[in-house]
Amino acid sequence: MAVLAKLTDEQIVEAVRLRDKELYSEIIRRYQAKLTHYLRKFIGNQDELEDVLQVVFIKTYRNLYGFDTAKRFSSWIYRIAHNEAVNQIKKYSRKAISLDENEWELIDDKMDVNEKTDASLFKAKVERGLTMISKKYRDPIVLYFFEQKTYEEISDILRLPRNTVGTLIMRGKGMLRGILAED
Amino acid sequence: MSNNELEKKVMSEITSGRIKLRSKYIFFAEKLGLGSAFVLSVLLAVLFFNLALFYLKASDNLSYLSFGSRGVLAFLGSFPYLLIVSMVVFIFLAGLLLKRSDVSYKKPFGYLALGLVGFIMLSGSVMAFSGIPERIERESYSQRPSGRIFRPFMRHGLGERRRGVAGRVVETGDGYINIQTPRSVVKVVLSALQNQPSEMPATGKFVTAIGEKKGDVFMALNIRVMNERDLPMIRRGVHRRFGEVRFRRP
Repeated sequence: MAVLAKLTDEQIVEAVRLRDKELYSEIIRRYQAKLTHYLRKFIGNQDELEDVLQVVFIKTYRNLYGFDTAKRFSSWIYRIAHNEAVNQIKKYSRKAISLDENEWELIDDKMDVNEKTDASLFKAKVERGLTMISKKYRDPIVLYFFEQKTYEEISDILRLPRNTVGTLIMRGKGMLRGILAED
Repeated sequence: MSNNELEKKVMSEITSGRIKLRSKYIFFAEKLGLGSAFVLSVLLAVLFFNLALFYLKASDNLSYLSFGSRGVLAFLGSFPYLLIVSMVVFIFLAGLLLKRSDVSYKKPFGYLALGLVGFIMLSGSVMAFSGIPERIERESYSQRPSGRIFRPFMRHGLGERRRGVAGRVVETGDGYINIQTPRSVVKVVLSALQNQPSEMPATGKFVTAIGEKKGDVFMALNIRVMNERDLPMIRRGVHRRFGEVRFRRP
């Protein structure tokens, strides 16, 4: 187990492909909480979320040979999760974004909104603000603020040039700040 | 479902063999297919760009513009639409395939598209010096099936035009001339000429004229004697149909 913990995701993928498919459980353990956290932004219903998560892990496994081990596995699995979330949103024409209990604080800290209102009220305002800005800006903002991804990782997940990611985050922040200030 | 449950559920699907890894050969074939389709699209775009350049240079198309605005209709009537549309389709296809590739998203697509179009234009222009387009033109009128693939693309260069005509003068008469075009012999009536040509058309000379085709005759509004080297596609078309006749100068 200790040896397994020292292996990188990419090394585990290599091992699953070549020798031991049981090792895939380590990938599930490493990413289940992270992907649940990410998918919850788009999928509020718990049963639906679990179904999507299961599909993500199964798709990831089936396509392991399609992953280039010279690249970052986390970006690859996030991309699969992102695509599944987009499909789910399209299927049910949903747009709402839901944040975890204290995630609104990240917005408050990083954007210096300095809201003095009630926490739950501000959380609702941030959620509404995120829902109002277009998907183009929302996706990089969610990955940057709430999933703590770097520009490089966001570039790999959303398949956008790195500079474009920076621009979208900057513009999205401006839009969000504007919406929060209006309310 | 707890964390453990999801893990168990997915792993049981995997260990039971219900969920299998897709073969690496499928991914290899997918990449190979995409790569080959991209290279083929780029090569065909280069070829069609090159053929379009060749067509513009070798056919009578651009010569109609020397008549000024009155030559525009003849120019449009003889424009290589099929070659241009084919080139655009292959550039578009190459762009789509490039966009689907694993590396393209690292750079803004606009730059990549610009680079792709630049490469196609540069390669197509360089290819113009290779003699390949002349060979394709020759092959397209041969009986070989491989060459005949290109005939629909090149045929328009030798087709009948309503607003313009180009060919070799075979007979001069009072107010008319007969010219051999790559398709047939056309009587060109000169009685409605708006400008007198600087050089009168003589037997054996190549001419281009603008005007309008009415029935079997072409009513010329303007006519110009051309150097036959400026209309190589027309010259070859006429030679293919009527042979390389030597005319005795009066």
